Amino acid sequence: MTKIKIVDARGLSCPQPVVLAKQAFESNEQVIVIVDNETALENVNRLGSKLGCEVKIEAKNGKIYEIHLMRNVDSNADQNAFVTSCAAGQCRPGPFVIVIAGDKMGRGNDELGYVLVKTFLHTVAEQAKKPDVMIFYNTGAKLTVQGSDVLDDLKKLESKGVQILVCGTCLNYFEIKDKLAVGIVSNMYDIVEIMSSAGRLFTP
Amino acid sequence: MTGQNSNYVILFRTVSYALKAEKILKQEGLPHKLIPVPKHISSDCGVCLLVHTDVKDKIVASLKGKVDIENIRKLTD
Repeated sequence: MTKIKIVDARGLSCPQPVVLAKQAFESNEQVIVIVDNETALENVNRLGSKLGCEVKIEAKNGKIYEIHLMRNVDSNADQNAFVTSCAAGQCRPGPFVIVIAGDKMGRGNDELGYVLVKTFLHTVAEQAKKPDVMIFYNTGAKLTVQGSDVLDDLKKLESKGVQILVCGTCLNYFEIKDKLAVGIVSNMYDIVEIMSSAGRLFTP
Repeated sequence: MTGQNSNYVILFRTVSYALKAEKILKQEGLPHKLIPVPKHISSDCGVCLLVHTDVKDKIVASLKGKVDIENIRKLTD
């Protein structure tokens, strides 16, 4: 008999439903996640496809959704990627987060720092293991607006399911909020919550 | 710039040359992208310019006499 694990993620906010779903999926063939909002629905759905499982969504009364995740035997590649991502207890559960704290990488020479941040983001966009969330603040926010040299890379990351959060205070400070071209405007509450719940977090 | 099949990378002897070339191309409005030198070409942590086939010759011509190009490689994958 296949074991079905039920995760009740009602009342929980992002990224908790995804984190719980991922945890449950590590030790169960089938997982049913119950959520009460569309953001959670989308996020868990995306997690399901990322892990290469079969995803079925049942809408219940009043914005309640049951998401059935079934391990797909055919998709070995994805499962292996998943296993390595949290193998041997090396990483804590929780999203993989990259924080871009400025439009320069490293300190010392600004021209060089800008070159490095551009090539860093290009490389992140090209590599197979992508972060779950990327957070942009301070001058890092400038990388997400119209005319940015790295817009292609960031759009590619976003289209692959990477959540791009841009600090609203920063966009406001630089007066570029109306020029945001990728990602969503975020706030310190979300930023702190995601950073606190991250399984892995680094800043270049 | 998608579809790397039809792209070339222009390699320079130093990072400064690559940056100088980038500045010239920016001024002339020629599309290009500064990227890390692909691993299969070199293990140095260098940068190079990724350019599309359609504009490659134009770009090489506009850099001529201004910046020395070390090598031009077609990207196969």
